[in-house]
Parts: sequence; C-alpha cells; structure tokens
Amino acid sequence: MKILVVDDSKAMRAIVKRSLASLERFSGAEILEAADGRQALETCEQEAPDLVISDWNMPEMSGIELLQALGGEGGRPTFGFVTSESTPEMHERARASGAAFLVSKPFTPESLGGALDGAV
Amino acid sequence: MQTTVPDLSTITNEIWTAMFGIGVEPADDGADHARGERVVTGVVQLTGDAEGAVTVQCSDRLARRATATMFAVDVTEVSDEDLSDCIGELANMTGGNVKSALDGHNELSLPSVTVGRDYEVTVRGSRVVQRRAFDAAGDTLVVTLLTRDRA
Repeated sequence: MKILVVDDSKAMRAIVKRSLASLERFSGAEILEAADGRQALETCEQEAPDLVISDWNMPEMSGIELLQALGGEGGRPTFGFVTSESTPEMHERARASGAAFLVSKPFTPESLGGALDGAV
Repeated sequence: MQTTVPDLSTITNEIWTAMFGIGVEPADDGADHARGERVVTGVVQLTGDAEGAVTVQCSDRLARRATATMFAVDVTEVSDEDLSDCIGELANMTGGNVKSALDGHNELSLPSVTVGRDYEVTVRGSRVVQRRAFDAAGDTLVVTLLTRDRA
C-alpha cells in the first residue's frame, strides 16, 4: 500500500508517519510526503497513492482544495483529514467532498487507526 | 464576538499530554518567563465572526524538549528550523481547538513563530480575554487568547 501524508509541518508529518508505523496493518506501507496541497496533487499524479492523509490548513493549496482537485470517486485515492480544526461545518464540507474521515489533532495512533479501520 | 469562551487549560493539557507526554500543571496567573530568558512564541490569528489571536509561549528549553519528542531525536539534535516548525504546529493545534470551540464562522491563519528575549507580543486593537500560565515539567508555558472588539 502507498500512503501520502500531507502537512506543512514536518513535525506533524513525522508524527503521522510514526503513528502509521505503529499500526500493524500499515507496517509494510510505502509512505510518501508532501508539504502542501499543490505538492500533494503532483505526487498523486506521479505516484497514484492508495490513501491520502492530509492537513486542512496549508499554504499554496488547502486540504479541502486538494480533495476537490482530485476529482470524483472513480480514480481518487481514499482521502482523510488530520487537522487541528474540527467544526461541524468542516465535517460537513469534508463529507460532502468525499473524505472518508476527519481526525482532530491532537490524536493518538489508536484514534488514527480507528478512523483508518473504517475507511481502508 | 463569540458567546463561548474556550477553556485554554483543558485544550493545553490535552495537547501537551497527547503530543509530548508532558503533563501541564496550572501556575499562578501572573507567572511569566524570567527576564532575559530566551522565549519561543507561536501565534495564529483568527478572523471571521471572532477576530483575534492565540499565542503559545514557552522557554527555549521547553520548546527544544517538545521538538525533540515530536521528531523522536535527542534534544541536542534539534535545529532552529525544526524548533520553529514544532512551536508553529503547537500554536496551530491550540488555535484550531480554540476555533472549534467558538461560535460562528471563523478562519485560522497559518502560524508564525518568534524567538528572542524580553519582548512583548501585541495584536493591534485586541485585548487579552484569557491568559493561562502552566508549569510544564519545571518550565513555564503561557497560552493566551486575545480578541479584537468590532467597531
């Protein structure tokens, strides 16, 4: 499995990667990184990841803009948010745009794993 | 302005415990960093129905410990760039949780980080509505919510 982790914070990308590595079912996954939505979009085109785990608020292109740019359900990877902001409005926008989950920061490997269990 | 006032103590404790494994204990509200101490400040601005900012200020020593934990490296290996990234993300997380607790539609800026000694952080036209000081394993941590009243 190929997983793309998108966050403008290098520290947060490291934490998401460590959390994934601690989850047995993702231990053999190839983890890719992008620092904003635009980089992530290019990586998606080149690498075709199976799963994208993205921050919401980023420079250049936000997470929701990335999700919308990836297009409809057909060829789009499974997509979920890990974000510090978690309003009902954001949950609704994420769901309406096709996100499989939204995990709020701070999170634990267990809470991320729980969200992923229902998505992939 | 919002009618809900987020609880900075609960938000801060949850973040520091989950992300760093460092429990934070409330300190006297007047507690602050010592004069001459190197302090790292992360700031995010709120715009929308609520206007203001959230600041997270910690000693350089505490910031380096937190950064080392985030990157899973020894504290001696922490670079200034990584320290700025970590405290910026910390401000983003704190501001994001504050935003989630506010009424209405609001937007959060990207974080900015300042490092130095004996400086004051002000956000033009705003006032402090909540300031919480904590003891984080022997170091001082100060989290502040400022809001700007509408004309």
